[in-house]
Amino acid sequence: MANLISEPTPLTVLSPIKNGDDGSQTFASLTRKYLQSLDIHEKSPMAKVPNTFLCRFFVLNDVFFEGSPGKVDHLKSKYLVFCCNFHGDLNTYLREFWQNAQQEAQKIWRHCVAFEQVHDAESFIDYIKKCELNTTIYFNGSTGLPLDEQLKALYLKQEFSQFACEKQGLSAEALFEAFQEFVERTRPADLTGPTWKPGQNTL
Amino acid sequence: MPDQHIDLNDIQGNIVKAYGRFGYPKARYIFFQFHDVEAGRNFIRDLLPLITTGRPWCKDQPPSATTNIAFTYQGLKHLGLPTKTLHSFPEEFSMGMKARADILGDDGESSPTEWDPIWHHDKYIHMFMSINAKSLEALEERYKKIQDLLKKSSGLVTQLRGHRDGQRDDLPYQEASAIFVDGKPTPTEHFGYQDGISDPYFKGSGGNPLNVVGGGKPTRGDPATLQGWEPLETGEFILGYPDETKELPIAPVPTLLSFNGTFMVYRKLHEKVKTFHDYINNVGKDFPGGPEAVAAKMAGRWRNGAPLVLFPTREEANAFAQEYEKARELAATSAKGKKRYEELRLKRTGFNFGNDLAGSRCPMGAHIRRANPRGCLEFGIKDAFATPGALDNRRRILRRGLPYGEVTNPLSDDGEHGVIFMAIGTSIERQFEFVQQQWINYGNDFKLSNQKDPLLGNHDGKDMFMIEGGSPDNPPFFCPEIPRFVTTRGGEYFFVPGLTAIRMIADNLIDPT
Repeated sequence: MANLISEPTPLTVLSPIKNGDDGSQTFASLTRKYLQSLDIHEKSPMAKVPNTFLCRFFVLNDVFFEGSPGKVDHLKSKYLVFCCNFHGDLNTYLREFWQNAQQEAQKIWRHCVAFEQVHDAESFIDYIKKCELNTTIYFNGSTGLPLDEQLKALYLKQEFSQFACEKQGLSAEALFEAFQEFVERTRPADLTGPTWKPGQNTL
Repeated sequence: MPDQHIDLNDIQGNIVKAYGRFGYPKARYIFFQFHDVEAGRNFIRDLLPLITTGRPWCKDQPPSATTNIAFTYQGLKHLGLPTKTLHSFPEEFSMGMKARADILGDDGESSPTEWDPIWHHDKYIHMFMSINAKSLEALEERYKKIQDLLKKSSGLVTQLRGHRDGQRDDLPYQEASAIFVDGKPTPTEHFGYQDGISDPYFKGSGGNPLNVVGGGKPTRGDPATLQGWEPLETGEFILGYPDETKELPIAPVPTLLSFNGTFMVYRKLHEKVKTFHDYINNVGKDFPGGPEAVAAKMAGRWRNGAPLVLFPTREEANAFAQEYEKARELAATSAKGKKRYEELRLKRTGFNFGNDLAGSRCPMGAHIRRANPRGCLEFGIKDAFATPGALDNRRRILRRGLPYGEVTNPLSDDGEHGVIFMAIGTSIERQFEFVQQQWINYGNDFKLSNQKDPLLGNHDGKDMFMIEGGSPDNPPFFCPEIPRFVTTRGGEYFFVPGLTAIRMIADNLIDPT
């Protein structure tokens, strides 16, 4: 796992989904159905997981068939794939994942092989690590700073652009006064707020 | 590809099950239009729990009624599918059946202008639904459930009228049923032929493995045995799996929309029983064996189902048919009976035309030889192709459907009776349209120049059909001036999505980017 200072930490997890069905739908279909029912952006359950930069869940049906004369290979089961970038180390990230979104994790992974053995943060960390794939190339859309710093920066950038637009042409005194008001309102050093919400992706 | 890689829970049941043969002799075909995107999505979301999947029934108690749905191009457009997705569908599907009339030979009395009123409007039909049932009561019960769901749309989804039954031309659905004799359903259609005997058998279909005989693709082994056949590739019939070219079939995007789906052709085919009987009776006066032999030569099977290749005389065919029927009844009661029945079943399907290259038993232009050449297009040239089915393995179609109407007056062609014919495959153009254009309404691939299928061809009264014969005591015979026995009364092309895809359409989750 690549983990360099000032870069986000990537994670790729492939968890085998149980073969078989619940009497009408396969466990893979049920997993996909649940994933597709999840909200995205601010309402995503992953917005509750601290320091998540971006993430994606999907169901991998099989290896891609590349046509003749290739050998036809198949996976032994379908997989739940979880990819994400986050800030910090893996143990902390997964521990906070469990602490903040335990119910969602249990629903997402409930049809995966052996997930019934996961009952606390430590066993969740063990499980994910067993399913982890080495990630060497990934989409890097972030600086790697803690999420609250990045959200605050995005918020400030948005607000300052607005400020610059509105206040252009003012005298130096008026501009200084307006800027003081701006600093008081936006509190640049305060990471707790005002700021963007986790999961927010547009202004 | 091992069977476990096909998710039969996600595939609609009509693709892998010919319901008529599974004890569902009653059917109703219903067509809908969406007037509002959300109402359409809500309706199909409500229908989802009723949709019958391909899950093997040995695992569960079979339902008393089944339900399946499919969409036209216009239907998918009215359900709000993205433009990129719509553009990824094959051209013949987006054009629809009426626009393909020239290719299909739907001319003269088969022209779309002559079809039932429901087919007259453009961009009109959006969704197809089939209900198959064990009994009329079960059919009505399921139909009522559908009506209740339809009411929830407050008129924003409508059931289209315009089917004819001989009395009226504004019926709200197309009724179909096996023909009953003495209270029991039979596998025959209105001309009296046993129908649907050999259906393609493909990998993962979950059907009886014995159905590979005659239903699979030919090897060079003995066609009477399992060694003579192999299952066809899944991708010939279900999207998302390799086909006979060892490639994935061309399919609409995104993959999850097409995965486990397929295409379906629906056709209402009127059968002119008086014309048929008059013709075989007249020609039969001059043909050795009489009318029954003429009927057999046209089809390639005796009307009782016995193939001409294995049963060249009527006496042999009748003796076999009697034994077969007896065995079929005994099959349910004893293991020995079942074994005998399965042996006899193979005699209806376990053959090719390798020992009849000149057509002296089964004419080259007979219906079954055209519709499923069984690897005979090598014409006896040893190893002409890498595999004997090289020219026909990609032209196979799953046939579904049932007869409709009753023949109340055999002395008239009028009235409403025929066959609701459905063809399923991953490419309407390559499979159904090719067979219809090149093999039913043309004869060059069989060295028969422009001769047509004697039974299904769009004849104009000038065509002839050659019964080759092949020996001094079995001379060639020409059936002259063949009239059109079967006319088209309606039809359309449909996309049959898998269960996941239906749910995603209902939830507006189709995203091709």
